[in-house]
Amino acid sequence: MQRRKTEEAVFKGLMIASVSIVAAGLLTIVAVIAWKGVPALSIGMITQTPKGGFYLGKEGGILNAIVGSLYLAGGATLLALVISLLVALFLQREYIGKSRWAGVVRLSLDVLWGVPSIVYGAFGFVIMVYLGMRASLLGGIIVLTLLEIPIMARALDEVLRAVPRELKDASYALGTTRLETSLNVVTRQVLPGILTAVLLAFGRGIGDAASVLFTAGYTDRIPTSLLDPVASLPLAIFFQLGTPFPEVQARGYASAVVLLVIVLLIAVGSRVLSRRLTKYVVK
Amino acid sequence: MNDICLRIHGLNVSYDGHTALKNIYLDIPHRQITAIIGPSGCGKTTLLRSINRLIDLTDGAKIRGEIWLDGHNVMSDREDVTSIRKRIGLISQKPSPLPMSIYDNVAYGPRIHGMRDRKELDKTVRSCLETAGLWTEVKDRLQSPATRLSVGQQQRLCLARSLAVRPEVLLCDEPTSALDPVSSQNIENRLIELKKDYTIVIVTHNIHQAMRLADYVVHLYLGELVEHGPASEVFQRPKQDRTRAYINGTVLTKPRTDVEINLKGKVCPLNFVFAKAALENLEIGQVLKVIVDYPTAITEVPRAMEYDGHKVLGVKQLNETDWEVIIQKRE
Repeated sequence: MQRRKTEEAVFKGLMIASVSIVAAGLLTIVAVIAWKGVPALSIGMITQTPKGGFYLGKEGGILNAIVGSLYLAGGATLLALVISLLVALFLQREYIGKSRWAGVVRLSLDVLWGVPSIVYGAFGFVIMVYLGMRASLLGGIIVLTLLEIPIMARALDEVLRAVPRELKDASYALGTTRLETSLNVVTRQVLPGILTAVLLAFGRGIGDAASVLFTAGYTDRIPTSLLDPVASLPLAIFFQLGTPFPEVQARGYASAVVLLVIVLLIAVGSRVLSRRLTKYVVK
Repeated sequence: MNDICLRIHGLNVSYDGHTALKNIYLDIPHRQITAIIGPSGCGKTTLLRSINRLIDLTDGAKIRGEIWLDGHNVMSDREDVTSIRKRIGLISQKPSPLPMSIYDNVAYGPRIHGMRDRKELDKTVRSCLETAGLWTEVKDRLQSPATRLSVGQQQRLCLARSLAVRPEVLLCDEPTSALDPVSSQNIENRLIELKKDYTIVIVTHNIHQAMRLADYVVHLYLGELVEHGPASEVFQRPKQDRTRAYINGTVLTKPRTDVEINLKGKVCPLNFVFAKAALENLEIGQVLKVIVDYPTAITEVPRAMEYDGHKVLGVKQLNETDWEVIIQKRE
């Protein structure tokens, strides 16, 4: 009995330690970024595009990168959602779930999930060169979409697999097709799960620098067409931290604060939305 | 043959080589309540799921035979499975409201089948909810989630939802087993009212429910059709011993018991160690009867025996504390 109590206590200790490591890691990152970045933050920073000499410490802001990142990650997440939802629905038992191919597809997605984003970037770059495309918003969105699909498709696959069998049977028993059941019942039931998947994928998309380095390029202007090059926050941070000037480096940290706030707002927003969406969900 | 609604002709179903239904020949009468009775695992649900072809969705199910619904062979690949299912509604054991509002649950089927007009939908929803006896309880909160209803109300909602696509046949798979007695009574009353317009097939392991509801009775046992006929005949003068035994509450096992051991007072896992030891001494195919009284033993002993590859033929309550488990030795 004593041994089992000790076991319980030890494992509880380990759990608390693990949670503390995660929390401390996050807090330290936020603290360092805030401490170095907030003093450099100003309204101009988020409402202006870079003026001449911005990277030498003169006038301007990073509106180009904020808008660019939202365009890139937003577009890619939307595109990835459509593709991933179709992939994940197809992986269920009504479609190919009964065959070995489902396992093959899941394995491929898991492997793709582990591929470094620079490889996606290089791959996208090669294709774009072959097609004669310049670095552009479109190229960036496509490569980010590819980057987001594995994470989104697997997350959706897991939530779809958890849909109770009886729920689908109830719908089929009314004479619906697989598609009608998938879109009207299954998707509705997993809406909160879809939101989580979207959030995960968006987070990966907006935070990634390597894949957009070659494919989306960088510019001081806000793009007006899908074929214009586009700036992004991770690259803005990278370039600003790479300069030898302390005031520009501080702006790099300020850009990181902006990126963090965007991710935070989206996460909180989706939590609130998720609570509304669970209203009809069958538990 | 106007009074026959469904004609089941030589139906065989197996799951991964294990036979669930053997050679079923059965006519189900038009606009009556047919009760399918039999112990758990005898193929009642399989038969029901075959009729509306939900069985197609079960992994490893192999189906042979024909089921005729006025000139259409339900089992034929050429038949459109969605139109078959529209004609044959299903009420499942556990109420399964869809993740939407009460109104949308009922309107779901009609909408899928092309009803768009708002007024027509309103009328259908209202009349189906009235028929299911739910309208007065929900008319002020049609837009609230279906999951907020009580389990009994949910089951009536499922009934209304099935009725909304205007089926001809209603299949009910132990529709009251998850409900309290009052809600069960309510569902039973609905079914009796509905039989003037619908052919109803109800699976139940509650023999009293079958007696209250059924016009026609089908007794299945281990995948075989033992007996079928008008309820009055089957209940009062069963032709088969097995039916008589089932109705009288005795599970009659085909092979006789070869050895009986008493494990009263023995706890898990001691009881199945003794049961295993007793099976060791038997020949394959011989039958062991074990008497247990420890509450978890009632589920755990059969499970342990099946895990070892033996066949559990029956579990039956003898009196307040004692249960018997009948096991046939396999390889």
